[in-house]
Amino acid sequence: MKKDEEFMPKILAFLCNWCSYAGADLAGTSRLKYPPSILPIRVMCSSRVDPLFVIKAYLGGADGVLVAGCHPGDCHYQKGNYYTRRRFASLQKIFEDIGLESERFRLSWISASEGPRYAKVATEFTEKIKKLGKNSVKNEIFL
Amino acid sequence: MTKALKINKSTEQGILELLKFLLEKGKVKGVFTLKKISNDGAVAYSLITKPDELKDAVPLYPLMPTNAGKLLSRFTLKGSSNEPVAAVVKPCELRAFIELVKLEQGSLENLFFISSTCGGVYPLKMAADGTIEKNLSKYWDAVKKGEIPTDLRSACKGCEEFKPYTADMTVDLIGKNDIDKQCMIFLNNKKGEELTKGVKGEFLEKAIDKGKIDKFQIKRESEKKKLFDEIEAKTKGMDGLIEIFGKCIGCHGCSNVCPICYCKLCEFDSSDSEYKPSNYEIELKKRGGLRVPPGTLYYQLGRLTHVTVSCVGCGACEDVCPVDIPLSIIFKKVGESVQKMFEYVPGRDIKEEIPLITFEEEEFTEVED
Amino acid sequence: MNESKDNLKTKGAVISAKSGTKESIIGFLEKGMDKGVFDAVLISMRVPAGDSFAYVLIKDESILKDAFPLPPVMSVQGAKAVSSVTRLGKGNMKIAAIMRPCETRATVELSKLGQTDLENIILISMDCPGVLPISDFLSDPNKGMKLFDDATKKLDDKIMRPVCQICDKSSMVAGDLHIGTLGAKKDTFFIISNSKKGNELMEKLGIDLKENIDSWQAKVKNISEEKQNKRKKTHKDLKSETGGLDNLLDTFSQCINCHNCMRVCPICYCRLCYFDSDKVKRPSEDYLQRAESKGSIRFLPDTTLFQMGRMMHMSLSCVSCGACEDACPMSIPVAQIFSMIADETQGLFDYVSGRNLEEPLPLVAYKEEELQEMEDAK
Repeated sequence: MKKDEEFMPKILAFLCNWCSYAGADLAGTSRLKYPPSILPIRVMCSSRVDPLFVIKAYLGGADGVLVAGCHPGDCHYQKGNYYTRRRFASLQKIFEDIGLESERFRLSWISASEGPRYAKVATEFTEKIKKLGKNSVKNEIFL
Repeated sequence: MTKALKINKSTEQGILELLKFLLEKGKVKGVFTLKKISNDGAVAYSLITKPDELKDAVPLYPLMPTNAGKLLSRFTLKGSSNEPVAAVVKPCELRAFIELVKLEQGSLENLFFISSTCGGVYPLKMAADGTIEKNLSKYWDAVKKGEIPTDLRSACKGCEEFKPYTADMTVDLIGKNDIDKQCMIFLNNKKGEELTKGVKGEFLEKAIDKGKIDKFQIKRESEKKKLFDEIEAKTKGMDGLIEIFGKCIGCHGCSNVCPICYCKLCEFDSSDSEYKPSNYEIELKKRGGLRVPPGTLYYQLGRLTHVTVSCVGCGACEDVCPVDIPLSIIFKKVGESVQKMFEYVPGRDIKEEIPLITFEEEEFTEVED
Repeated sequence: MNESKDNLKTKGAVISAKSGTKESIIGFLEKGMDKGVFDAVLISMRVPAGDSFAYVLIKDESILKDAFPLPPVMSVQGAKAVSSVTRLGKGNMKIAAIMRPCETRATVELSKLGQTDLENIILISMDCPGVLPISDFLSDPNKGMKLFDDATKKLDDKIMRPVCQICDKSSMVAGDLHIGTLGAKKDTFFIISNSKKGNELMEKLGIDLKENIDSWQAKVKNISEEKQNKRKKTHKDLKSETGGLDNLLDTFSQCINCHNCMRVCPICYCRLCYFDSDKVKRPSEDYLQRAESKGSIRFLPDTTLFQMGRMMHMSLSCVSCGACEDACPMSIPVAQIFSMIADETQGLFDYVSGRNLEEPLPLVAYKEEELQEMEDAK
């Protein structure tokens, strides 16, 4: 259907300054192609991402939320991403348990040199979100 | 083999004897327990220093006016107790207090805990309309038979954590048909043994009989499954959530009475969560209309992320909700999922760190990419 | 109290309600949005599950047709809804807010307290038959709806909140416009203006305010006087039941300090209530000392302090809406007690909360000579 083909998801991406944001930048300077679905927000560390950001984004109508940080063991602040992983796991579990589409959230480790990986994650995630469809919450009144 | 103290009185009377002994002999400065505080039989937690006042104490009363964990946190928030105090609390209240101590909202120093295998409590509504007294004999009949009394708080009906983990002394009520005649206080550690030295009674080598407890566990498990299945059907997906939280009036009573919600100024009451006129304009453009005050689901989902890892399933939230949202089952169910994922039981052990402030280098590979 | 008479204009408009009062009110609001007189409407709607009602800020006119100007329950006090929209500024939207008189009055009080900017808000109140206690409604929403409709038609308030049953200000005009259903001819209602804003709105809609509203005034006076008598008697009985230290302690013996009453109260706007603050958090020695002085104290103590403290803080602005009583999990008649106290404290200053936006709050105004019966001069 034409309408579905036109659906370009809005994916909020929290990218850690030292790894993922740099990786995204590299994807850009390398002229790698990926869908224009990502709305990046730079944070100093993936552990800055409060689960409330993800919830707010979701309730605000974001079709997907990506949290990206350094690979475990490589965090610029040593331990940040370990906490991110736990927090994300519990957030996903909560969403799963109450039947909200936990597949709309993704945690990816992307390093500063992984430009192609960033493009791949962005492309894959966008495809997945396209299949899930628009987030209907953006039309809800009784939130 | 654990030691036990047998007192030839009913279980409640035996506990009162022990408390009287502790106060009279100066082994504790105060006793914290449920007490009838008014002529019309209102029951509330009290801090008792005079042995005579124990005559109105009802330590095993099936009511939780406030989660005692929250109260004990308030008692020790501005400094640990510098005098010994004995507290008679229910298992979930003790677990809540242990969680609060982990969160630096209280101190265990100089506190001694007496708890019981718990038959559950009645909803606050029944205290408000005075029907608990009428139901007391029915309640104890059910507990003695190892059955779940009707009309209990729904959180209690499905509670599998009815055995205290860290109490210094425990009485066993479940399935014990002799609690009217005999009081058996299990002394779980040295503290318990020291406190009871000199009490009029018989000291035995005896451990809690697991048989009746295990049988009861199965009953509670089956009730829990029923309650969880019911709520799952109601809350599935965004539509389900909007429906079930549709009535929410944003009073935040649930977070106010929740022992785990200790924040002086809740995130959802703070200016962080306040909408500016420009926020409204954006939302209205998006949706055409917006419920005000806004942020009901944001509050409920947000509170879920904040408390589920430590939720003890006491059910205080549901009792205080003015619009009868089945909060305790929702939070209990999600809480259990999160806690199981971390193999964590809140309040089981003071040394067990809350899962979100610790980590392993390799874990949850199914969640990361 | 003759406050109502001072605020009434003498002429109004007669609006046809052939398709039903609710539908006509919605039609009026739709007209206002069409003509751009206001950009949004703040009005009640039924929640998706149908088991309650909530205030919704509506910009899309098509949503208005499902609105419910006079819901059978007061889930959130309307003043709280208005305040949440314009506490931080008047914004760019002109909003028509339609609520009950006590909610309008509370909004006026909140404006005086700096908690809401009313510049872009048009307050519309309507004659109020009362409101069902929320727990009664929740036990059977469909039945509750029907009971409410019947009671409204027959002007029978037995099923309403106890404070509604003795409310003598159920038709008080405190906002910019008022919808008068009482005393109106069949299939019509009055619209009365109370302010320049109200007049301007009516002008922009091309509706003249030239009809005689005597029949409404007479009916309102009639009902108000009846309620006043009932109120006097009820308060006398209530005073003997709850008055004196022993009775007071017994009345609040079941209070669990959940603070629900404070949280749903429109006047209690403090982000961090004094009674939740550090000021009331004491070290264990304090509590043990207090326990020793009496042999035993309730824990946490100071329940009565909270109740009386709240009376002191808000009774001068209390609008007797009854939201507190609905929210109390222990069914304590807080609204009845607070409402009775509010009558007396406001009476001391000849003040009626929310009656007039220009009237200063009693505690921020003074006369050089007054209250001589209270002071001890030579």
